[in-house]
Amino acid sequence: MPERLRAEEAERFLFAEARLLDERRFEEWEALFADDAVYWLPIDPDKDPSQAVAIIYDDRQRLHERVYRLTKTPVLDQNPPSRTIRFVSNVEVADGERADEAVVHCRQLIAEMRPGGPGQEGLNAPRLFAARCQYRLRQVGGAWKIALKQVVLLTSDEPQYNLSFIP
Amino acid sequence: MAVREETLGSYAGLVADDPREFRVHGSIYTDPQLFVAEMQRIFERCWVYVGHESEVSAPGDYKTVVVGTQPLILTRHEDGRIYCLYNRCRHRGAVVCRQERGHSNFFRCRYHNWVYANNGALIGMAQSTGYPDDFDRRAYGLVPAARLESYRGMLFVNLSDRGPGLAEHLAPVRRYIDYWFGRSPVEEIEVCLPPHRYEYPGNWKLQAENGSDGYHGNYVHLSWQRVLALARESTVEETQQYRQAGCTRGLANGHGVLERPGSLNPNSSWTARMMHRYPAYAEAMRARFSDEELVEISARRNIFVFPNLYLFETHCRVIVPRAPDRTEVHLYVYALRGVPDAINEGRFRGHERFFGPAGFGTPDDIEVFTEVQTGVRARGVEWNLLNRGQHRERFEAGEWIGHTTDEAPQRSLYRQWRRMMADGERADA
Repeated sequence: MPERLRAEEAERFLFAEARLLDERRFEEWEALFADDAVYWLPIDPDKDPSQAVAIIYDDRQRLHERVYRLTKTPVLDQNPPSRTIRFVSNVEVADGERADEAVVHCRQLIAEMRPGGPGQEGLNAPRLFAARCQYRLRQVGGAWKIALKQVVLLTSDEPQYNLSFIP
Repeated sequence: MAVREETLGSYAGLVADDPREFRVHGSIYTDPQLFVAEMQRIFERCWVYVGHESEVSAPGDYKTVVVGTQPLILTRHEDGRIYCLYNRCRHRGAVVCRQERGHSNFFRCRYHNWVYANNGALIGMAQSTGYPDDFDRRAYGLVPAARLESYRGMLFVNLSDRGPGLAEHLAPVRRYIDYWFGRSPVEEIEVCLPPHRYEYPGNWKLQAENGSDGYHGNYVHLSWQRVLALARESTVEETQQYRQAGCTRGLANGHGVLERPGSLNPNSSWTARMMHRYPAYAEAMRARFSDEELVEISARRNIFVFPNLYLFETHCRVIVPRAPDRTEVHLYVYALRGVPDAINEGRFRGHERFFGPAGFGTPDDIEVFTEVQTGVRARGVEWNLLNRGQHRERFEAGEWIGHTTDEAPQRSLYRQWRRMMADGERADA
């Protein structure tokens, strides 16, 4: 019988995930995801992804491409890289549909900035992203893995500048 | 932005159509007065794309749009016709609609409850006894844009009643638009909302130049090419070789095309690959088109329609200037009608992979726009060069045809820009 996810445990998991992203340890972050995971930033969360585009709708392979691109290729949009500071709060845990899964709701606030020389357009400007997030966590071999991470930005349907850091 | 028209200067000289060194002045990206002149002389006198009929398919459907910097409403009335109306109450000037899009059988000004039908007719107002019996409501409807025309469901408005009609404006680029529709065996598209939207702190023309620029791909998008290699779709060498094939086309009226060759070989074109993968699609396409037409249809093109529209494989891209150094871009992804659902779903995921604010390509493009916007503040250097390939391009059937990395489309863009800025200046005088 799989163990139920306790609220403190869910918090620890989310805090650790936020720290991996803030420290740009993207490959370790990627390892948190289950093999069939989805990482989803919808424009409209009520829209079926088969009928419309999202800001991000990554399956496991696309997620790997995203991390590979950030860590192993000469990107311009993360050079200079984003600094981020992430806050996670309002964590709530509910049972999942599957016995080995739990659903975690939380709120996140991401502060982001790319540093650069004086007067450079697009750099040196702190931005704030508020989001409501939903995770489906699954027990895999004694550890919790992310089966779904959905991030609905407060401004999900507004024009966005560079979201190439991982929101 | 309250610059009076008569104070606007002459800007045509900022494009130097020199046969050896076509160049544009750096101030075209930064000058606030020039931006006002562009809105008046180009965006308010040219055919500007505002949407596709499928976005307002039922009577009562509406979307609000910005043409230049002016607010308008695009809506379908119960008579089945589409209207494009200035979003401004005739009484005291408040907007009558605040939403991006929706469905309503009337528009009501919230200030004093003046109410208008979807064709703009004034239906009534609060406490109407305050107006005399002979007050002619017909004279106070929402004002329509001077002209609204459709080409195959694509809606364009022109805020001026002078100048060429839509057919004449589109004539030089029409055959490429027709091929673009041809990837649907019924030659129709359907816009799938919501759009991708991004913004950047830079001038609108940077996006207009870049969508048909075949020169930057190997450098700005090397990281994308490495992702394609990771996915074993093509090696970096294969991608870069592919990017040498095709051509650029500079067309009359400011339009332009970046083109990769078409092919019936499934390894060489998307259309042929889909026909190979989905027999029903192949059957429908072969029933509709000849082999020669299929080769043209399968050519991959980024089509620029002056001044604010790009047609891409996955989306209609609308450029919305907000200020000299601020631009919004809306990517309206569309489904091809009459193809298997799996093809369209694959197109959505393929679109997200490269385009949009978190795609593997778009943010790299935007990054260089901000680099140009910062760089052109260095006024110790006056001109930007757009002369690549001038010595080797050829003029054929009204088109300047260049190497795939040449700046023929950008030169066409700026020739039209210069013409409209000069014509506008004469009209103002």
